[in-house]
Amino acid sequence: MICVFQWLRKRQKPDQIKNLPQLIANLKTSGDFLHFKSEQTGMPYFIYYFKTLVNEQELSEKILAPMVKNKVSSLKEVKDTVPIPGIILTDDLSDICEKVMIGYLILRFNENSNECALIPSPTDISRKVSQPEVEFTVVGSKESFVESLDKNLHLIRKRLPVHELKAYEITIGKLTHTKVAVLYLDGITNQENIQIVKDRLKGIHVDQVVDNSVIMQLITDNKNSPFPQLVDTERPDRAASVLCEGKIVILSEGSPQALLGPTTFIEFFSAFEDYFVNWIIASTARLIRIFAVLFSILVTPLYVATLTYHYELIPSDLLSTLVSSRQQIPLPPILEAIFLELSIELLREAGARLPTKVGQTIGIVGGIVIGTASVEAGLTSNVLLIIVALAALASFTTPVYRMGNTIRLIRFPFLLFAHLWGLLGVVLCFCFLLIHLLRLKSLGKPFLEPIYPLRVKDLKDALIRLPNKFQTKRPIQLQTESTVRFEKDKNEFHE
Amino acid sequence: MRDAEVKEQHKISPFLVFYLVHTMQVGVGVMGFQRIVTKEAGNDAWISVLAAGLSLHLIIFLMYKILLKENGDIISVHKNLFGKWLGGFLSWILIIYFIAMSITVLRTYIEVVQVWMFPDLNKWIFGCVFLLLVYYCLSGGFKVVTGISFFGVVLPFYLLLTMAFPLYHGHFRDLLPVLNHSISELYAGAKGASLPYLGFSTLLIYFPFIKDPAKSHRWAQGGHLLTVFMYVVVMVATIAFFSERQLEKTIWATLTTWKIAEMPFVERFEYIGIATWALVILPNMCITVWVAGRGIRRLIKVKQRKATIPILILVLIVNGMLTERGNIDLLNSSISEVGFYMTYIYIPLLFLLQFIVYKVRKLQ
Repeated sequence: MICVFQWLRKRQKPDQIKNLPQLIANLKTSGDFLHFKSEQTGMPYFIYYFKTLVNEQELSEKILAPMVKNKVSSLKEVKDTVPIPGIILTDDLSDICEKVMIGYLILRFNENSNECALIPSPTDISRKVSQPEVEFTVVGSKESFVESLDKNLHLIRKRLPVHELKAYEITIGKLTHTKVAVLYLDGITNQENIQIVKDRLKGIHVDQVVDNSVIMQLITDNKNSPFPQLVDTERPDRAASVLCEGKIVILSEGSPQALLGPTTFIEFFSAFEDYFVNWIIASTARLIRIFAVLFSILVTPLYVATLTYHYELIPSDLLSTLVSSRQQIPLPPILEAIFLELSIELLREAGARLPTKVGQTIGIVGGIVIGTASVEAGLTSNVLLIIVALAALASFTTPVYRMGNTIRLIRFPFLLFAHLWGLLGVVLCFCFLLIHLLRLKSLGKPFLEPIYPLRVKDLKDALIRLPNKFQTKRPIQLQTESTVRFEKDKNEFHE
Repeated sequence: MRDAEVKEQHKISPFLVFYLVHTMQVGVGVMGFQRIVTKEAGNDAWISVLAAGLSLHLIIFLMYKILLKENGDIISVHKNLFGKWLGGFLSWILIIYFIAMSITVLRTYIEVVQVWMFPDLNKWIFGCVFLLLVYYCLSGGFKVVTGISFFGVVLPFYLLLTMAFPLYHGHFRDLLPVLNHSISELYAGAKGASLPYLGFSTLLIYFPFIKDPAKSHRWAQGGHLLTVFMYVVVMVATIAFFSERQLEKTIWATLTTWKIAEMPFVERFEYIGIATWALVILPNMCITVWVAGRGIRRLIKVKQRKATIPILILVLIVNGMLTERGNIDLLNSSISEVGFYMTYIYIPLLFLLQFIVYKVRKLQ
């Protein structure tokens, strides 16, 4: 805070604002800054505030009414009579300037002194807690984070009513002054991890932090990787749940998403719904998602590789189907594939930018009309059309939206390598991807864990989710201070 | 020996030595070692393979004895026993051996690809891309190298299942009569079988990077045992599948056996096999180049990155200049020869020498 003010001081020439009257004169240049003088109490007093930041109903009911009733005549009396906690009596200009910008009003009796009372009466204009849209689940809680940090904190505190839940707050962004809260459970979360997050947040020097995703990009381990290295969620129950595991949650003012870390590659393929259903169903769903990712990345490149170089691979029965579908196509497989992949990307991008109802129409027009027309026009084969559509569908199974984007992007280098060296190119590209993933870290912890480094004990909640009785320990990955989640129940009722 | 210290955060768990040892052995050798072994030992080749494998357990044991006594890598051992100049000379020979090994691996793989998949593959461009991949891996440090070794073992492991096809079609009577070859023939076969086993000697350099090295001993032995098992299976399948005369003319017997693999959605499995083999070759290249770079770093005071780039360029150039089949074969057999003497003669000698020197120093 001090540094922010020093910066402010540097910006506004140091000789410009020296006392409160000058500050108020400066603030008056804004149209929504109100000021009035009143003599109802006998002693005249002055009130200044931003009408867009202050709750005016509260002002008249809770502040002015008691003041008039008790005939206050000094700042000390104001503090005693007004039934609002947190009233500050100060003459510190930096404090006044900072507070008036977050919904405090200035009250003073002497027009020429710096002495004044700062009364908090902020208005709260924000969205109500609503249903999650990206991570909607049929069963389970229907609450999702909103744009207010306090409400979000409330949503988590409500789920974890223990004093160990700490929220370390820091303000970043030279202009946006965004409040950021780092949440962790004292005595469980690894101190080193917390320190890493704090240090990285302190190291942010940008003018605006408009959303948590900006923070994510700024504190992420490898900024040149297309892979997200922190999970973002809009579900307070997921945030509370990973806190119990020993992870760290980052919330920020104005962002309806929480960042969770340290995370692993596999966690991006686990939906929170997996914990609401039986472990067999959850595990199957996870395996399907992982298969879907591999399918989505590899299937079009494999098509290109096979049809460009390795016809021999395909058994003769299958080959005739493929050949007859490609008979009329004038383009080599790579152009055919890129054409279709790009049209799918266009559809997706157009669908994402348009309002829902128009988006649906675009989806139908694009998906059915363009698809059928391009096959009939002989631009693409219908086998490839099926493959590309399936691959696109598969890429949408990823529960974390960001990861889905990455999956769709990394398909293109695979395509080019498939065209260059066939299957060999696909494997080389895969090696490149593997090395990249091996090098990635999430808050300093290996990203591919528990596969590499292989930690068999952490596999209990990775590719598959084992039943509850195997989940007694926290993940080794997080190096938590207390490793035991709960004692194993030795006499379970059904045994 | 401040330079020899390895920071704790760069060290790897002892069990990962399993993968490092195993992946270094399974490289290009396994694609066609059968012809060389059966040339000498005929249908008893699998005994040669087994014998060579088992004898190497002893060599690994000796290596661990040497390194644990020194508590450092082979370069420290050399310096300690032979002094700065002679020791340094020996270390340089070792480094050149590792560089030559990486050249052999890459060139042989490219040859396989040229013969089986793309006859007009440009070895300069392919080598360049492959070495860039190696460099990308190496710049992540030894942990990433170990990671890629891990995946280089786990992911292509399914290829072992394809040995079911030649086993299914094979004639096991070909294995009979057992032991109809003389000891000297078996020995010559075992010598021929040593190339696919070599490579674990890279352990001599990365040893200080292992956390709790004494514990890693059994993992190293385990990794080697898995290789022995795999090779014996492959050898038995090959003997059963090919006739002796046919095998004489088959340079890459393993690849030939893949040709008969038949699944409802895929035929001509060797394309998939050879492509997947890139995943096996990559850790081989990474480890050898890393080890050479690390060795140079220890000998002259340069950053490992600065040592690695010239090595990669050298590998690329030599790789591009080797064009004829005869040269590649010569490179393979000479590396095999050098490796054979290094493991079977030099390591035991070094062990003895170290033993004596330590005894003498203790007496003084």
